Amino acid sequence: MIIADQKPMDEILEMISGIEKLLVLGCRGCVAVCSAGGDKEVGVLASALRLGRKKAGKPIEIDEATYVRQCDPEYLEPLKKDGKKYDAVLSMACGVGVNFIADRCPDVNVLPALNTSFYGANLSSGEWAEMCAGCGACVLHLTGGLCPVARCAKSLSNGPCGGSVGGRCEINKDVPCIWHQICKKLTGRKQDQLLREIVPIRDWRPSGHGGPRRRIREDLLP
Amino acid sequence: MISGSNLEQVLTSGQFTVTGELGPPQNGNFDVVRDKARILKSHVDAVNITDCQTAIVRMSSLTAGLIALAEGVEPVMQMTCRDRNRIGIQSDILGASALGIKNLLCLTGDHQKFGNHPQAKGVFDMDSIQLLGMIKAMRDDKKFQCGDEIKSHEPRLLLGAAANPFADPFEYRPIRVAKKVEAGASFIQTQIIYNVEKFARFMEIVRDLGLHEKVYILAGVTPPKSVGMARYMKKFVPGLDVTDDVIERLKGAKDPKEEGINICVDIIKQVREIPGVAGVHVMAIGWEQAVPEIVSLAGLSPRPGAKTVEPRLRSSESIELIVSNAKKDAKAEIEKALEQAKAEAQASRDLVVKEKVRVTSEISGLKRQAEEAKTIAGQKQTEIERLNAELAKTKAGLGHAQAVRGLAEKRESSALSSRERSALTSLRSGLEALSKGLGINKDQLEALRRFFEAEFLLHMDTAEQVTVPSEETAAPRKEIEKPEAEARHKEVVNLVAKGNVLLHKNDAAGALDAFEKALAIEPKDQKAGEGLKKAREAYEIAAPTEEAAAPAVPEGVPPCPEGLSPEEWQQKRVIRFVARGNVLLHKSDADGALKAFKQALELEPDDKKAKAGLLKAESGEVAPVLVPAEPEVTEKTEVPPTPEPKAAPVTEKVKAEARKVAPAPTEPTGIEGLSVAELPKETMSLSERAGPVPGNQFTESCTGAICEVSLGEGEKALTVGGSSTLPFYMFEGDMPHAPQVAFGILDSEPEDWPDVLSKYYSDVFSDPVAWARKCIDDYGAEAICLSLVSTDPNGMNRPSDEAARKAQSVIEGIDVPVILWGCGNAEKDTETLREVTNLVGNRKVCLGPLSDANYRSLGATAMAFQLPVVASTPIDVNLAKQLNILLENLGLSPDQILMDPSIGAVGYGIEYSYSVMERIRLAALTQQDEKLQVPFICNLGREVWKTKECRLPSDALLGDQERRGVLMEAVTASTLLLAGGELMVMMHPKAIALTEALIRGMMG
Repeated sequence: MIIADQKPMDEILEMISGIEKLLVLGCRGCVAVCSAGGDKEVGVLASALRLGRKKAGKPIEIDEATYVRQCDPEYLEPLKKDGKKYDAVLSMACGVGVNFIADRCPDVNVLPALNTSFYGANLSSGEWAEMCAGCGACVLHLTGGLCPVARCAKSLSNGPCGGSVGGRCEINKDVPCIWHQICKKLTGRKQDQLLREIVPIRDWRPSGHGGPRRRIREDLLP
Repeated sequence: MISGSNLEQVLTSGQFTVTGELGPPQNGNFDVVRDKARILKSHVDAVNITDCQTAIVRMSSLTAGLIALAEGVEPVMQMTCRDRNRIGIQSDILGASALGIKNLLCLTGDHQKFGNHPQAKGVFDMDSIQLLGMIKAMRDDKKFQCGDEIKSHEPRLLLGAAANPFADPFEYRPIRVAKKVEAGASFIQTQIIYNVEKFARFMEIVRDLGLHEKVYILAGVTPPKSVGMARYMKKFVPGLDVTDDVIERLKGAKDPKEEGINICVDIIKQVREIPGVAGVHVMAIGWEQAVPEIVSLAGLSPRPGAKTVEPRLRSSESIELIVSNAKKDAKAEIEKALEQAKAEAQASRDLVVKEKVRVTSEISGLKRQAEEAKTIAGQKQTEIERLNAELAKTKAGLGHAQAVRGLAEKRESSALSSRERSALTSLRSGLEALSKGLGINKDQLEALRRFFEAEFLLHMDTAEQVTVPSEETAAPRKEIEKPEAEARHKEVVNLVAKGNVLLHKNDAAGALDAFEKALAIEPKDQKAGEGLKKAREAYEIAAPTEEAAAPAVPEGVPPCPEGLSPEEWQQKRVIRFVARGNVLLHKSDADGALKAFKQALELEPDDKKAKAGLLKAESGEVAPVLVPAEPEVTEKTEVPPTPEPKAAPVTEKVKAEARKVAPAPTEPTGIEGLSVAELPKETMSLSERAGPVPGNQFTESCTGAICEVSLGEGEKALTVGGSSTLPFYMFEGDMPHAPQVAFGILDSEPEDWPDVLSKYYSDVFSDPVAWARKCIDDYGAEAICLSLVSTDPNGMNRPSDEAARKAQSVIEGIDVPVILWGCGNAEKDTETLREVTNLVGNRKVCLGPLSDANYRSLGATAMAFQLPVVASTPIDVNLAKQLNILLENLGLSPDQILMDPSIGAVGYGIEYSYSVMERIRLAALTQQDEKLQVPFICNLGREVWKTKECRLPSDALLGDQERRGVLMEAVTASTLLLAGGELMVMMHPKAIALTEALIRGMMG
């Protein structure tokens, strides 16, 4: 899922400094699951903003709402009209939601409340880690299902660098060396041969370096 | 041959290969690269030029490689994947190839997180193995990575790669080497090896895979420069295995640097024995000077000559210019030579004709004279006999003339000065030339020569009896007298110089002493003799006053410290007594005060202040002493503030500040409202407050005392230390001198000061003298600490002599005490600080920091000039004590030493500093640990202002930035004061004002 994190309060307050009527708009998609922009977070953020503005001597009127998803057009339909009632809509969706509102509701002044970070998994309550880089050219069948593009600090293709010590990455002892794990896994499965083969230089176009990406499935087109 | 490089030739010839390493500078200084290349030249077969190693921005490896190449040093250009994508890399490779680079080491590169731009986007378009493959394809298949053809001039590069036998998983490492070989590597350079045993196991697997026959493996070695460096590498460099044995060897070594070189040589010898090792890669970045010694000690020199190393980067114009200049030069030279030859030929023809005529007419006369000379020589013979009894024996067997000759030879071998010898030699050669020109036969020549030599020697004898040996004749004799004599001579010269300086400063007693010392070593020294005479005269003039004062000095007074004339010393003591009197008066101890003032008057019956004090003491007046309307400067500065006039203004000032603050501002912004609260005055003495409890129940007096160290000279001199109690525990003991604050300034524009600090000094950043003056004139600085940051070899690397001249201008431009604080690089600091002492002579500057790496050389300098020093150690009681012991063993007295225990700012380990300082102070005061009875200096300003908290801008949560920084500096200082710090080095004027107010308040 997409992992996001709320922006610092100061930054949000600065963002809405001239605004007197605001809608804080959550999303029940990924950001709700990773506890960054669901119903609960909407309530907390809205209260905090009211308090902050009150303390600064500039009270603000804030409404709260949460949509099922902000990345599908049908859910955004009501916002086209309702959004006009506010000086701004503070979206607590990932960057996709903010963009999509900006695209679909041209009259709404949409602002981001979150920093969208990565594609990750929930390791334990309150902890998420990056697992995929969305590079568009998956090699997981060659690496025991562990992604060196997302999980190696240098995105190496051909084995661990000289900074791998005791199974830890050189950049931080808290970061496991993914290539160490790949080696262990492939050796254990008698797939050592994969470690001896030279993986050729990558084509980075599918990962976004070839421009904005788009997916089309002809059979589903209207 | 792949590229035909020198490295390739040496590798393929089967010789044990040596490569070096050169780290380009963090600036655009051409000379740095050239100088390093010159050090390494002809000691190694090729030199790796690193590509922004550890991700710190440096001169590019291509550029630095070309500079090395121009010096005749073959570069191995390093290329990482961190900073360029495939377009940039291929483009650089084409350029490198065009300009004559023939070796390339392909690396993935250190992660940008380690460097000075951790915010950068790491490229990593490919990894090192893919990089090898890409360049190999460019070279062998003449194809760009995309598949396009390189139509001509494909890059011919010998490719290398790195390997780390100590990284994990261990079993995978040889496989990775195999992949690199398959991708295109012709040679491998390994990570630094200290654990030879593990490397040998790695090589075993490498041999099992047959890799040693496909690739040349160069073992990486590095001389550890110190225990600290070895420990750092062990702890913080991932994938570097430093063995305990190496650390132990360095720890036990007298000279860690030498031991470091020995360790490196031992490792080279061991790895050389391992089959499959084709050479070594010596990495001594920042210590290139060690490489020649290592290579030679390892028995690897000389290196085969590098014939193929030819720079290609020359424009056609420059070549034409070189050729035409050479042509012109050659032509001019030939013409000049021709003309000279012609002239010479003509001259010699003329000479011969002339000489023939003259000499034929003289020859008969000469013959006659020769006969006469023989007889004269006979007559003189008796005299010679008297002078030289030994000669008589030789003489007996020989004819008269021969005897003279024997004497001549003897004299020549023993006592003849070089001047005499050369005269004789030229005489002989002149005669020989004459004989050839005139066709004189052998016998005639012999007769002539004996005559002249006899004449010469006889003349010499008389001359020697009459004249005192001149300096010229004395000098060579001294040279023969071995280095001891030389050292003695040097010392005499130093003492004489010192005497002269002192004389010039009207310190006749000191001068007299210096000259007498000089004469004791070398009784004949003329200059010392003359100096002594002058000093005596001066002393006699000064003596009457001194004699008058002498009887007044009671027995057992502290001896006059060196460097002070008796008059100055007396004056100082008077001031001290007056001060003590005032303090006692202030403390309502009229009797004590009376005594102190009387003592002062005994020494100086006319002292007004003492008299005034005496009157007050007698009248029992115990009100605070008011500041005299016209305070005498001497009083104020000579006696550091404990007592005396300052005691009074203190409370007043504090009050004044408190009053100013009174209409308390509601919001704490800016630094306007900052002040030290007025410290409540305790009117009751401790014993009164304790009531019936006996004093020994609640006081714990100390048995030791801290040494007093004086800084600077003249009226503005400062003294720190001297206390015989814990900091500010005035109810238990004496704290004669208040702690001092020195203003910290830099000798170049600071790069990273926050605006809230630099705004006070930015107008004077470019001129350290003006900066120091501003501190003194505008902010009342009583001492200056000049940091020589510009000399840092890892920074601006300003040459020592240039920095020393800057420091000299500061020292000579101000009259308050100066502390010189080096950049922290032991070698560079030694060089710079010595240079400064040479320039400023006897000015009493304080030198620092002295570490275990340079205490010997700087300690000797400090001893010669009697300068105080800062002994700087990592934060540890035993290390601090050890350095003090070393300095004392060297001959420094404890009253020349200030301790820098290494300190941190509030929030940055200050509790650690506090605890170590406290333990040092307790050992000094209560356990009589004499080696620790030395004042502390705390260079805290620089620590505080580099913290994150001082840099973050003002915001609602953290408050005003300047206020925050000032408070951090002042609170750090106050903490260190309570730990026992005697001398604070600080930067922000407001923080200093706060700290000084606190000190005044505490000193009460």
